[in-house]
Amino acid sequence: MTLGQLVGLILLFNAMTFGNGPVMIPLLRDSLVSGRGVLTTDELLYAFTVARITPGPANSYVASIGYMLFGLPGAVLCALAVMVPGYLMLPLQYGYGLLRSARAVSGFTRGLIGASVGLIFAASVEMARGSLTTPGSWIVFVVAVVAATVLRWSTVLVLLVPSAIGLALSAFL
Amino acid sequence: MNLAGIFWIFFRAGLAFGGGLGILAVLEKDVVTRRRLVTRDEFLTVYALGRIVPTGTMMAVAVAIGHRLGGFAGTLAALLGLILPAFVSTVALTAAYRQLQDTRGFALLSVTLLPAALSLVVAAAVNLARSAIDRRPEMALAVAALIASLFFHLNPAIVLLLSGVGSALLLGPSTSS
Repeated sequence: MTLGQLVGLILLFNAMTFGNGPVMIPLLRDSLVSGRGVLTTDELLYAFTVARITPGPANSYVASIGYMLFGLPGAVLCALAVMVPGYLMLPLQYGYGLLRSARAVSGFTRGLIGASVGLIFAASVEMARGSLTTPGSWIVFVVAVVAATVLRWSTVLVLLVPSAIGLALSAFL
Repeated sequence: MNLAGIFWIFFRAGLAFGGGLGILAVLEKDVVTRRRLVTRDEFLTVYALGRIVPTGTMMAVAVAIGHRLGGFAGTLAALLGLILPAFVSTVALTAAYRQLQDTRGFALLSVTLLPAALSLVVAAAVNLARSAIDRRPEMALAVAALIASLFFHLNPAIVLLLSGVGSALLLGPSTSS
């Protein structure tokens, strides 16, 4: 796989997904992990984690993936690939009045949002299969899911508290 | 507004934790409440349109507000400011991953940070599902997409396109939001 192909993939996946954060993860996992095998599940998760624990936009995980595969030029070009489509805002703002009233456009967006939710759940299951291989990792995962969805802790706490539990478990088991 | 000013506004927003919503909160406070550079209605409209653009919502918001404040050069200043903190810290930690790969600490990642991070993907899906929970068509599409992907291994891109085109033909604008 060349850097050009990676940037092309990210541009393509970006064009097919809406919103922030993990929406591209299912597509990237499918293509880079299962398809071409250039990344491992752990590497993809690490890239995602790094983007989450650092400040700023959550889709900076593409810079991490770019760096893993092609070093600094990869990181720069992959970051550019998720920034450039933002310029679609300029024509969109002019056409907003027209777009707002078009039935088909809002229907299309609703369809994408619905499917995105299902695909993110599906990607979570696939990633869990590849990543949660020990009882300790399952305990950490379950504690973190409860902290994130039921208790609604902040991102930093969701990462740190279950990680500390995992660290303690691995010391005793 | 000068370019350094635009860069500075978005650089500080780019230092916010919590992804898109964290950035939005800082930006709103700075651009709308404190400096009154754009009205609240205008800001919310930009955010809504940003969600339609196929990319990170905040990238789209940066382009729109950067353009509003400083033309095309303003968009470059806004994007650069927004991405710089994330880019530098992400690349630094990724470089550290390479160093960590051969050490004992790396083995511990798979029982600590990585399963915890997976929960964030799940939480994002749960939050998205919550926002669509009173809209049955979206929930039905979510379940259908889950089954298509998990059990029939349909390509995610095809799932998204089918769902989008199907909804464009069958569904109108949402009535509940």
